[in-house]
Amino acid sequence: MSSCATCSCVPWPLSPYLAQSGAKEGRVRTPLRSIDWGSIAPLRLRARAVAEGVYAGAHRSLRRGPGVEFGGHRPYVPGDDLRWLDRRALLRHDKLVVREFETETDRGLRLIVDASASMGFRSRAAPAAKFAFAALLAGALARIALASGDPVGLEWLGGQSTRSLPAMAGREAFERIIGALESVQAVGDLRLDSSAVELAFRSIARKARRGTVIVLLSDLIDLPDDTLERFTALASGGRVLIAIQVLDPEEALFPFEGTVRLRALEGDALVETDAQLTRLRYLAHLNQVAERWSRALTDHGGQLLQARSTDEAADVVRQTVSAVAGRFIPKRDAR
Amino acid sequence: MTFVYAAALAVGLLVIAPFIAHLLQRRRADERPFPPAHLVPPSPPIARRRRKVDDRALYVVRTAAVLALAALGATPFVHCSALAVGRTSGASIALAIVLDDSLSMQAETGGRTRWERAKKAARDLAGGAREGDALGIVLAGSPPRIALASTTDLAAARTVLDNLTPSHRATDLEGALELARSLVHGLPQVDRRVVLLSDLSDGHPDGPPLSASEDIALWVPLTDLTESVENCAVLRADRQRDRATVRVACSPAGAGRRRNVEVYARDKLIGQSKIPEEALAVDIGVELHDASGELVARLSGKDAIAADDSAPILATAGQVAIAIIADPASSKLATGGAPPVEQALAALELDMQVRPLPIVPDHAEELAPFAGAVIEDPPGFTPEARRSLGAWLERGGVVLLALGPNTALAPLGASFEPLVHGSIGWGPSPVEGLDDKSASLFGAAAGGLADLRPRGRSNLDLAALGPSAKVAARWKDGAPWLIERAVGRGFAFVLSLPTSPDESDLALRPAFLILLEKFAEAARARNGAHRTTVGETWAFEGAKSLEVTGPDKVRLRVTDEATSKTVVPDRIGVYEISLDGDKLVRVAAPAEREVDLRPRPVAPQTRSASLGDTRARLDLSPHLAMVLLALLVAELVLRLWARKQGVTSEEPSF
Repeated sequence: MSSCATCSCVPWPLSPYLAQSGAKEGRVRTPLRSIDWGSIAPLRLRARAVAEGVYAGAHRSLRRGPGVEFGGHRPYVPGDDLRWLDRRALLRHDKLVVREFETETDRGLRLIVDASASMGFRSRAAPAAKFAFAALLAGALARIALASGDPVGLEWLGGQSTRSLPAMAGREAFERIIGALESVQAVGDLRLDSSAVELAFRSIARKARRGTVIVLLSDLIDLPDDTLERFTALASGGRVLIAIQVLDPEEALFPFEGTVRLRALEGDALVETDAQLTRLRYLAHLNQVAERWSRALTDHGGQLLQARSTDEAADVVRQTVSAVAGRFIPKRDAR
Repeated sequence: MTFVYAAALAVGLLVIAPFIAHLLQRRRADERPFPPAHLVPPSPPIARRRRKVDDRALYVVRTAAVLALAALGATPFVHCSALAVGRTSGASIALAIVLDDSLSMQAETGGRTRWERAKKAARDLAGGAREGDALGIVLAGSPPRIALASTTDLAAARTVLDNLTPSHRATDLEGALELARSLVHGLPQVDRRVVLLSDLSDGHPDGPPLSASEDIALWVPLTDLTESVENCAVLRADRQRDRATVRVACSPAGAGRRRNVEVYARDKLIGQSKIPEEALAVDIGVELHDASGELVARLSGKDAIAADDSAPILATAGQVAIAIIADPASSKLATGGAPPVEQALAALELDMQVRPLPIVPDHAEELAPFAGAVIEDPPGFTPEARRSLGAWLERGGVVLLALGPNTALAPLGASFEPLVHGSIGWGPSPVEGLDDKSASLFGAAAGGLADLRPRGRSNLDLAALGPSAKVAARWKDGAPWLIERAVGRGFAFVLSLPTSPDESDLALRPAFLILLEKFAEAARARNGAHRTTVGETWAFEGAKSLEVTGPDKVRLRVTDEATSKTVVPDRIGVYEISLDGDKLVRVAAPAEREVDLRPRPVAPQTRSASLGDTRARLDLSPHLAMVLLALLVAELVLRLWARKQGVTSEEPSF
């Protein structure tokens, strides 16, 4: 079996997921090859093209304080800097008010990309693996942010050959981000390695500044149970949380017929079922997961976006930008 | 075994195809990667089990369909216990089925009557008939009847067979066979046969054996119908004051031992008497105690035929009565005794009461008890007599009027209305006898009437008789000798010669007895016969409305004849008759010879195996085709059902 693992005798799409060793014993399989980029390659050009199709526009900082443009009054509270006390208003109205100013400032973007084994899945109907699509979205968002002068950082959930990048701006930053995305292999079981999630989120919680936009790109289906709580904890300090659930069309639609045996890529779940009988129940479970994430994110001022790897990447990026701007993106019907 | 037969059976090997298909379908599904596999619920055990059952049912249906297809291709034949005619040359056959629907066929053995067995055999024959075969059906109950004239419409034959019902008639095998032969005689089929489905009990066990004719074969296949059974029947029962006379017949002799004749009045036993052992037919007297109301004579115990074990008891006064109105002085014999017509009626043993009357009564009620009246040489009728006679005739009376010398002595005001119109004279006869060609109703006996040597004769004015009169016989010179005419529901025979031997030799001729028989038959048929044999036609001359209700409260079919209405009672029992508003009751009794269950002998060649087989080869192809069709429908239903169940199971359970 091991000699056949890399040869062409195993039909697609099984071959990328056959274990290099231990498949006969039924142990957890890990992908052997790099990401199946499909029609998304080369990522650099595709991400740039997607970004150019999206109008980003200037965004105002939510930060108040010293600046050049008047931002309004607010009542004085003890401790305020007396430099901003509006003396004219005091003389005219006999009230203590403080002047506020707005300033155009950089707004950091932190990308967290799921590179676990499940993200390497690609079905016949999909143009590329889920990770490739997530990387395309990440690259396009990074390009848009960098074009606005905002710093972009990159963190990983799982994966092999990953390189976390601190928030940085400038032309070099895009190249480095693309290089990091292209060099990764989707591997690993996050359920068994919750520390990877903790490490990624802790780093962001420590380094991300106020107002930073944090975008999580994942399928959300093989994450440790406490991932959602840890992610929403990042919402403190005015940070904006966006989660983009990237699914393969097979995962989103469950288009199978008759009896099927399904093996998970993370964990040892092996299910034999009648697809017609259980389709609606599966979709309901999937919707429950999305519902839970959406509700939690909405409670913390964020949003969940749902995307399939067959979707137009530009549309997804545009929705993401809209979500960052605070516009609500309606949830997608899973059916 | 032909090559096609073997090849068709080889198709049966395809039975493993659905098995292989099911194995393939039951193979484990290919494993495929699916990241959110832990979100996919496994199939519920119930649904999985149901699917398994569905598959098994489908497998069985498909396997059976392949086997049925192979068997259908082989066109198999099976032998079954059905009657089938033998076909030596394979050509079409003209077949006449004689089905015995008589009383003896009601004998029950093994839970089924002989009639049911014979009818089933007839159905088998009709079912085995092929296109081009001609089929006719004759019923052997007396009188024999054609139930279906020869036809190649086999569906019509089967329909007729299905609608046939048994009767309690006597059996007339010879007549039925003649009728059957006439059905197939002129048909184009070379092979013409008559099949007799009967117990052969026609009351002539010592008669000549039934055999085939020259060109039409006779097949008597059902030998089991002639098995010996015991039966007793009540033929008739009459009451005279406190005594009933019950005629009982048993077959075979001794079948009546340890059985009694019991008389009931409204289910109360009022008298009984033992049936003598070893008796075939016997009159049994029963003393009655407290007899009132309608009485019924029944036989105790059980026998093969239950329908003939009881009969209503009729009062003797209800017997047909004939009035003789004759002047003893003029109508007498040299040897003495009753007038010759009275003695002749008694000699005929017509089961009728003969009672003399001095004159024609002046009131119709006095004539009402009589079915017929013989009026010998009257000197005309008075107006009162004419009125009563006319009223009686209108209600069905039958008169035989013999005109003699007294016709010339008719007093003033007397005439022969309403029997003869116009004046009647008396004088010497210019000829000695009748023209035998004009007296064909007497058959061979007409020859005796050519030399009557009468001393005189009545001269009937033919023109004055009217259109309703018909000359039945003439003198040699063409003058009417016997006139028949209908008067209302009644009938009149007018004879231009008296019966006295002093006037002519008529009373000495056989034709005289034939004339009296015809008169008695007309009287019985019109009115007087309260009890007749089953199957004997009841004719109601001149009836305007007639309804007859049988023993099972079934209304009988009335046939309209030219001047009468007729019905045929074909079951034993009491019949209620509504005739022009009058209520009558008649009884149909079994024929005595029908109780004799000994079979008539048949010629050995009528049992020949070449004529047919009681174990027919039945082609199963149509049945197999239907099975195959049913299996295909079953598969379709199973698949639809499985699909529907699948849709139902897809409903989310949360």
